[in-house]
Amino acid sequence: MVMRQLGAWVADVCVGFWRSCLVVAATMVIPAVWAGAIALGIWWGAANPWSWVAPVVLVCVGTLGLSRPVCRVVRHLVARWTGTVIPSGYRRPGPVTRLSTGYWWNGFSYERTSRDAVMDQKMRLRWSDPANWRDLRFTAIVAVGAGVVAAVPLAGVAAAALGFSGSGLAPHFVGVLGVVVAVAASPYAWRPVEPVGVRFLRASAAMALADRVDELTAQRADTTVAQAAEIRRIERDLHDGAQARLVALGLSLATADKLMDTNPEQARALMREARVGAATSLTELRELVQGINPPVLNERGLIDAVRAFALDSPLEVTVDADVELRLDPPIESALYFGIAELVTNAVKHARASRGRITIDVDGTDIVVEVEDDGRGGADVRAGGGLAGLRRRLTVFDGTLEITSPAGGPTRVRMMVPCESL
Amino acid sequence: MRIVVAEDLYLLRDGMVRLIEAYGHEVVATAATGPETLDALLEWRPDVAVVDVRMPPGQSDEGLRAALAARREVPALPVLILSQHVEQLYARELLADGTGGIGYFLKESVFDADQFIDALERVAAGGTAMDPAVIAKLLSSGSSNRLLEGLTEREHSVLGLMAEGLSNQAIGRRLFLSESAISKYTTSMFGKLGITDDDSNNRRVLVVLTYLNNP
Repeated sequence: MVMRQLGAWVADVCVGFWRSCLVVAATMVIPAVWAGAIALGIWWGAANPWSWVAPVVLVCVGTLGLSRPVCRVVRHLVARWTGTVIPSGYRRPGPVTRLSTGYWWNGFSYERTSRDAVMDQKMRLRWSDPANWRDLRFTAIVAVGAGVVAAVPLAGVAAAALGFSGSGLAPHFVGVLGVVVAVAASPYAWRPVEPVGVRFLRASAAMALADRVDELTAQRADTTVAQAAEIRRIERDLHDGAQARLVALGLSLATADKLMDTNPEQARALMREARVGAATSLTELRELVQGINPPVLNERGLIDAVRAFALDSPLEVTVDADVELRLDPPIESALYFGIAELVTNAVKHARASRGRITIDVDGTDIVVEVEDDGRGGADVRAGGGLAGLRRRLTVFDGTLEITSPAGGPTRVRMMVPCESL
Repeated sequence: MRIVVAEDLYLLRDGMVRLIEAYGHEVVATAATGPETLDALLEWRPDVAVVDVRMPPGQSDEGLRAALAARREVPALPVLILSQHVEQLYARELLADGTGGIGYFLKESVFDADQFIDALERVAAGGTAMDPAVIAKLLSSGSSNRLLEGLTEREHSVLGLMAEGLSNQAIGRRLFLSESAISKYTTSMFGKLGITDDDSNNRRVLVVLTYLNNP
């Protein structure tokens, strides 16, 4: 028992010492470059301004070139030792596409070859990335905040080596003190690198903003396209359906009017026809309206609309919703059509016989779960219905999670944050 | 009959009043908003009321709410609900008190004036009358599958027509069968559905209720 504890402690000290050395090596590279450059300048003659040209260039190039690798190493070490993953937040390259002119477009400029386009894109991303400023700041902070602390065990070892190589009581005392400091500090000295990394290496406000702008630009494009398609669909439905029928209706009535005196029997038949036509166009309009915005949604809100939908569904669907909701119409509509699509999938693809819809509130999130007892195997394919649904939820910062093992059951969870709850 | 008409669109309201009066019934009051409807229903206690679901001030389900509120004050007050769309959900809410005197139709049902007035009279007499669209939705929905498993195809169609509110005689005419054949079907159906009440009118309400309230 005691032996085992002692063994664990020794291992702790050794591992700690090794990690401290790594932290020092990673964080002190740039200070070392600076120190080297200053030493070089002094050696060449501190009073002569020309002897400082080379050291200044060395410092600039060294700092700029090394800051990103240093950050990368720190991120890697922290993830490996503590499991804390710090997102890098560097800007990612967009697609390089070939245009009809034969030139390549990389999001910034046109290039003659795809290699040039990729190189150019890399350079521009590398030097226009707001993460560069964060990296520079971090290398300065981590050297003081984590590097110096991690250097304590090394300093202890150095003191011990110096002390024991000298003779007399005082040097030996320094040596013993060095050993004690090194051993005691080793298990802890590397640890500050984690909080410092988490605090200063995460995405800065400017980076988060840049990401958000990219995301929103993509979403806006999506929404515009989807909206235009929807309007075209409605126009086509009205044009081919109700409008055409009303024209036919008018014709029937006009003819009936003409025939009223000469052939009342045929006139009456035409009137009946007109009535049937009016009823059919109403049915068509009702279906169209149902697809744009179901009237129950407007009259009763999300939960009753979902209940009404569940009643009409060919599945046996139960609805669990014990919450009071009054949501913004766009969110309500997105969730309603999301649920409708999921239930339809359960009927069409999963061949389910029962379903369950749960609507709940979790803090400031609305959580909707749709389960079925079908055969499972649903996944999000690019261009598929689920991908479209996920995209429509992303507009509200919502998420879609699916668990659907082959053989079922399928469970889909939609979550949308909503501050008005 | 003394009738109240509640509808917010002037053209429709006017047309409906003229249609009803052409059939020799009296329209005692009209209403164009939810609160007006409730007041008119409670003040006039009509033999039957025709109420639109969506009305001002909220343009949501004010009419339906007014009708339900009036029926809480005056139990079994006959109401015929008209709407641009029909929902099983609303049909259930209307039938939940089990007292009958309920009709629920699409607005275009007024195109067939004879059938519309016929339905109005059935509702006034305490029966139920449902739009075929409601029944069609019911029959195709998963929730009714289990209940209907035990019924034969013929009983199935009789049940659908009965749920629309038709009499045995009318069902017989639709299916080209004699009235006595229909009553044989209905008796066997009542048995299978576990409905034993003797009063035949009430029994028909119960059929629709069983149909709708089946979980």
